[in-house]
Order: sequence, then C-alpha cells, then structure tokens
Amino acid sequence: MNDDASEGQLQRSSLPKNARRARLRARVLARAGIFASQIGLLAVLLWLWESATAHDRQAAFLFGSPSAIFGFLVKMWRDGSLFRDTYVTGVETLLGFLLGNVIGTSIGLSLWYSQSVARVVQPFIIALGSIPIIALAPIMIIWFGTGLMSKVVMATLSVVVVALITSYKGALSVDPDKISLFRTLGATKGQIFHRLVIPSALTDIFAGLRLTVGFALIGAIIGEFMSSSEGLGHAIFKAGSLYNIPKVFAALVATIALALFLTWLVGQLERLLTPWRNVP
Amino acid sequence: MHVIGDLSLSLGQAEIVSIVGPSGCGKSTLLNVVSGIIPPDSGEIRWYGEPLAGVPARAGYMLQKDLLLPWRTAIQNVLLGLEIQGVKADAARNRAEIMLDRLGLHGFAASYPSTLSGGMRQRVALARTLVTDPEVMLLDEPFAALDFQSKLLIENDTATLVRAEKRSVLLITHDVEEAVSMSDRVIVLSQRPTRILRVYEIDIPGNRTDMMEARQSPHFTQYVRSIWNDLQSTARP
Repeated sequence: MNDDASEGQLQRSSLPKNARRARLRARVLARAGIFASQIGLLAVLLWLWESATAHDRQAAFLFGSPSAIFGFLVKMWRDGSLFRDTYVTGVETLLGFLLGNVIGTSIGLSLWYSQSVARVVQPFIIALGSIPIIALAPIMIIWFGTGLMSKVVMATLSVVVVALITSYKGALSVDPDKISLFRTLGATKGQIFHRLVIPSALTDIFAGLRLTVGFALIGAIIGEFMSSSEGLGHAIFKAGSLYNIPKVFAALVATIALALFLTWLVGQLERLLTPWRNVP
Repeated sequence: MHVIGDLSLSLGQAEIVSIVGPSGCGKSTLLNVVSGIIPPDSGEIRWYGEPLAGVPARAGYMLQKDLLLPWRTAIQNVLLGLEIQGVKADAARNRAEIMLDRLGLHGFAASYPSTLSGGMRQRVALARTLVTDPEVMLLDEPFAALDFQSKLLIENDTATLVRAEKRSVLLITHDVEEAVSMSDRVIVLSQRPTRILRVYEIDIPGNRTDMMEARQSPHFTQYVRSIWNDLQSTARP
C-alpha cells in the first residue's frame, strides 16, 4: 500500500542536494545574464541619444538629452516636487485601482450567480467599456471638482469594466466537472461560489489586476491633464506647454517608476494570496 | 439527444458492479443520471426504493480527472466534503488524516496537488470520496489515466477499503480486466441506443482485494475473453 508513497518520496529526493544547488545556480546566473543585457541595451540607447544631441542645440531642445533629463530629476528631487507629484498621482492611481477593482470584481463574480442577469446586462457593460475614458474627463471635472476626487473617479472608470470582464470570465471558466463534484458532495450554490468559483477565478482576477495598474494610471493622468494643480500629469502638461522637453521626460521617468512599483506591488500581493502557485 | 435506450439495472448493498461498453455508448451519461447531476429525459432512478430527486445523499463521485482543487493541500482537499457537510473541524481533520494514512499518503497531507504524482493525486481524490462515508460510490473510469502499477495498487486499496466497509460501487470503465478483477457483476452495454447486452456474475475464488491474484485465476481469462467478444460484436466498424 505504501509503494506509491515511497515512490513519491523517491522522486522527491532523487535529485541530490548538490545537483539541485547547481541547477539553482545556473538559473540565477541565467537571470543575471538577462538583467545585465537589459542594462547594457539601456546604456547603449542612452549613449546614442546623448551623443546625437550633445553638439546639436536644436536637437537637444526638441528631443532633450539623458543628461538634461537627469539634471531635471535631481532638481525636482531637491525642490521636493518629484516626491510630491509622484505621491499625488500614486494616491489617485491606487485609490482608483482599488475602487475600480473592488466594484468591477464584485459585479463580475456575482454575475456568475445568475446567467439571465448576466445576459441582460451584457450589452450595457460592452457599451460602457467602449466609451473612451478621455471623453468623460470634462464631465468628471464638473461633477467632482478639480481636486483628488475627479482623478480617483477617472482612474476608477478606466479600471472597472476591465476588472468586471476579467473576473466574470474567470468565474465562467470553472471546470464544470468540479461543479458536479461539489453538487454530489451536497454543496449549496453559496458554498460552490465561495469555495470553488472565487478561488478558481483568482488567476484571471490577478491577470486583470496587472492589466489595470496601467489603466488606473492613465485615468489619473488624463484627469490631471484636464485640470489640476499637482501630480505627474500636471507636471508633464505644464512642462510640455512651456516647451521644456527634458522636464517632460523627467516626469515620464517618474511615471514609469511609479507604474513599475505598483505592478511589483500587485505581484507581491499575488504571491501572498496564491501560495499554491509558488511551489517549486 | 437520445443516448440511452431501454435499460434497467440495480445495485445491491456491498456489491461492486462494473459497466463496460464501447466508447460513446453513454456510460458516463448513465453515471451522471444516476448521480443526479443531469435529470433523465424519461425513466426513473430509485435510491433505496425511493424515486430520486436531485443529487442523492451519501453517494461519492469520482472521475478520471482527479478534480483536486490546486489551492488546497492534500488534506484540505480531503476535507472538502466534510466542510460542506458541516462536520466539526477537529473531527473532520482526524478522519481526513486517518484516510490519508490508510491510502499510503502519510506525510503528504500538507503537499499541494501540483507536487504529487498522478497516482498520489488520484489517491487523494479517493480519500476525498471515502472520507464522507458514502454508501454508494459512483466511479467513472477513475484509474484510466494511471500507469499499470499505480493502477493495480490503487485498485487493490479501493477494493480493500470498499469491501471492508460494505460500500456499494458502480464502476464505469473501458478496461475489461479492471472490470472483471474488481467486480461482483459486470454489465456489458451495447452501442447506441444503449441497452444491456449481457450481464456476468463474476465468480473468482480467493481474495477479491488482490487484483494480481484475480488475474491468475483461469476464470478471469474466460470472463475477459467472453466480454471482449461481446464488445467486438457491438463495436462499429
């Protein structure tokens, strides 16, 4: 009776420790190699950019240069506006991201409960999803003012439909045989929803979360473009209208850093909430 | 679509009955009707003489796919049915641990399914079915995806546990040897519209929980050959 089990143990320990360590080292080395290549590629691009604009004032004015951009980043860091603007946009994005995903995912998952309701609301959802978010910005400024609220609403709106659709798709992708299994175990619809549908949908929900980080950021920045007194979108808009191209790029660098940070945060959350997918 | 023609069968207490038939003859449909997952177009299912409405209580269900939940560890998967039935956590955990031990999975309780071999995963699925103490087990080709050795071992364990607890089993399979070695009765179905072609009462002397021993019996070969001929006679060219 224990043969299968011991076979499993055998499989587990069949790799000697040093072999496993060697494999791990190879993997770390490969990853380091990729990282080094990425840094190298970035360095080459920056060098090309810098050398092309170094002796050409017109080009330097139109395209900026890495050294000028870096100079602005240092300046913005010193006067505190770098942190301030990134913080403002970060808060708007994060609030919109959370609000949009909570609302969208709740609706998307609960649509699983009733196929007929889902069918009724489907065209409305598609219609909502097809509205270009930028077209809503002026109305949102009128309704919610020029402060934080209108940007949060813009970010929420850019997120909510995507979150709804991905989570509904996740809920629908549950293996019907697993639903049958739950039913033969005597599960109620609520138990199936809670113990099967939600965990099954997590993969799709997290795919949606990674996608909507960017969407929330776009929403917040569009909101800032329309009307604002602070934030990265405000900085980009203002610098752009003053033909200060290096400063536009400097603010863009901060925006990219913010996007990467928020994506990393979602990745950490995913690792925390889906531990079964991290097992080697 | 009319899949199943006229047929009638019954399953006695503590009896292991196998159903074999050509592929596409509606074996799985039959099992899904019996387990109440899909309602029959016509006809009737009776459990203990009572017409069946919906999913019967105290029936266990197991498929070729192990249907383990990847986000639950082995023991949490085994606990699923008990949780749904509202068994107290301590008692449930105790029962699940005993069942895992009996199926040779001691030490793997905290493993996620993705780290287990196919045979071990199917053992966890078997433990999940047995731990709810079902009176009737409905098995749809549960061991079909396993290699010969794992399959024989899990068949032995299944037969041992089922016969010791006097559970009834309805086993759908396309493996004639499995059907003969496991069962007290083998029902051979025809091509669609499905009806019963023949019924064999399997009389193999000796220990019925040892699949290798069963295979050594001369009766075994006769049954297998005869069932094989039945299947060939109904197979479509």
